[in-house]
Amino acid sequence: MFKIIANREVGPGIFQLVLNYDQLPQNPEPGHFFNIKVSQDGSEDPLLRRPFSIFDFDAAEKKIEFVYRVIGKGTKILSNLENGTELDVLGPLGTPFSLNKSGGSIHLIGGGMGIAPLYYLAKKLKSSRQTLYLGAANKAELEFFEEKFKGLGVECHLAAMEEKLEIRGSALVLWLNYLEKNTPDYIYTCGPEKMLAAVEKEALKHNIGGELSVEKRMGCGIGVCLSCSCESRDQDQKNKRACVEGPVFGLGEVILSV
Amino acid sequence: MFKGEVDSLKQKLTEADLNLSVVMKSQQHQQQNNLKLKNPLITASGTCGNGKELADFFDINQLGAFTTKGITVKPQAGNKTPRIAETAAGIINSIGLENPGVDSFIKDILPETKNYSLPILANISGYSKEDFITLAEKLEKREEITGIEVNLSCPNIKGGGMIFGTDPEKVYQITKKVREIYSGYLIVKLTPNITDITETALAAENAGADAVSMINTLSAMKIDIDQQKPLLANTFGGLSGPAVRPVAVRMVYQSFKKLNIPILGLGGVRSGSDVIEFMLAGAAAVGIGTVNMIDPTAGPRIIGEIKEYMLKHQIKNLSSIIGAAH
Repeated sequence: MFKIIANREVGPGIFQLVLNYDQLPQNPEPGHFFNIKVSQDGSEDPLLRRPFSIFDFDAAEKKIEFVYRVIGKGTKILSNLENGTELDVLGPLGTPFSLNKSGGSIHLIGGGMGIAPLYYLAKKLKSSRQTLYLGAANKAELEFFEEKFKGLGVECHLAAMEEKLEIRGSALVLWLNYLEKNTPDYIYTCGPEKMLAAVEKEALKHNIGGELSVEKRMGCGIGVCLSCSCESRDQDQKNKRACVEGPVFGLGEVILSV
Repeated sequence: MFKGEVDSLKQKLTEADLNLSVVMKSQQHQQQNNLKLKNPLITASGTCGNGKELADFFDINQLGAFTTKGITVKPQAGNKTPRIAETAAGIINSIGLENPGVDSFIKDILPETKNYSLPILANISGYSKEDFITLAEKLEKREEITGIEVNLSCPNIKGGGMIFGTDPEKVYQITKKVREIYSGYLIVKLTPNITDITETALAAENAGADAVSMINTLSAMKIDIDQQKPLLANTFGGLSGPAVRPVAVRMVYQSFKKLNIPILGLGGVRSGSDVIEFMLAGAAAVGIGTVNMIDPTAGPRIIGEIKEYMLKHQIKNLSSIIGAAH
């Protein structure tokens, strides 16, 4: 059983959802996602669950946190649910980030809500020297995340499309400003697929390894429907399901839509 | 008089008295060819992977039978993404039959099904009559599977699938060919994208199919109004989920009296009540599809709900309600 203990707006249209749970099949790792049924009382609209990457996790307190943006019908319903509401939640699902690069210099590059899976990751990578490059539409969307990451001691660089922060532009452009002079050992990135493709291209060009988490339109989240198939770059390999083999993939592992 | 009422005059039934089993008769007139199910629930192809995904959530041997993801002669990568769109009480998919091909299916997937004790049905799709012949030949005498479901109704592949399924003559020809080759239980899956489904259902029966399954998805589309373009990369897809259920129930009802072979009814089943509705319309067995994508443990839950209905109406044998709404 999962119960809402907080569901508050932390930026324009951005909500932090905190759930209390009884038990989990396993503790989630950074990059895992949960599939939440947002429709209530047996409603069939929307029919599908909504996948959310884990934002934070606390085993001692039995708490899971997610951060989501209200985009469509499902997230609108979710944003209106009150504390105490019981939710039907499946997870943890998918393949998480690998944490074996801990210790070196790491860049985290997040675009928009692509920031969500990077926070718990940063928390787990505490022994590494981490720098965050984060982009969103405006400053108001970034404040919550800036504070959270700074709380972990992560160096933050912020960009917005609608106003000048460190730069006016995307997380990608911001990151490229630093890439040459401050080349990391490894990167982790999440955001729109076009951004991921561009980040991946630059990283591979500079021989930097890393991982990305894709945001694919999913059906089931458990690997049965093949809605979220990603084409492998290696022609000899089969398609990979974002919900089972992903959502985290190594750089260059799957073909991203540009 | 409602069938259940007769039983209710007798001693009150308890759960231990309930018999959920159904027998889908074969046209081959030999008892060993009948498809015996411990309950009417059969997973719908393409919504349950090949067993192991759902087996993480419950013991799939509790189900009546399991249908594997559709296979073709050659491996297929499937359509471009997005492959799924959501609509009120339904989803539109255009997966495009992503599958590893029949040889890999036999080599890699079928051995895994040996862990299960329930009947396994292999769903097959093709682009030509020759494809279906090849598939039937390769699957003939495969002891891992009890039967095949011939998909003459996939809306998501070009130059095949649904094109066969909308023409009673082609349904007859392909079914007849497959029947000549394949000796196990033979189900033909029909498309609802047709004026009169009883024509294709009868064609399948006349060609020797043991049963028909109906319905596959309804051809549909969704437009992204912000991008002002079709949402699915493939433009069109197939609608499934609760939204299509009344259409499927109508088609089962319409076909029941015209056919002498059993019907596997499916389309938007979410609960035990939905299974009962299909059976009352005339389905001998009922498929569960889209619901597995939302509730992986739907199968056992639905079986429990069927039992509740049987107790409420004091029905000892579930098979007694097949076609009872007529």
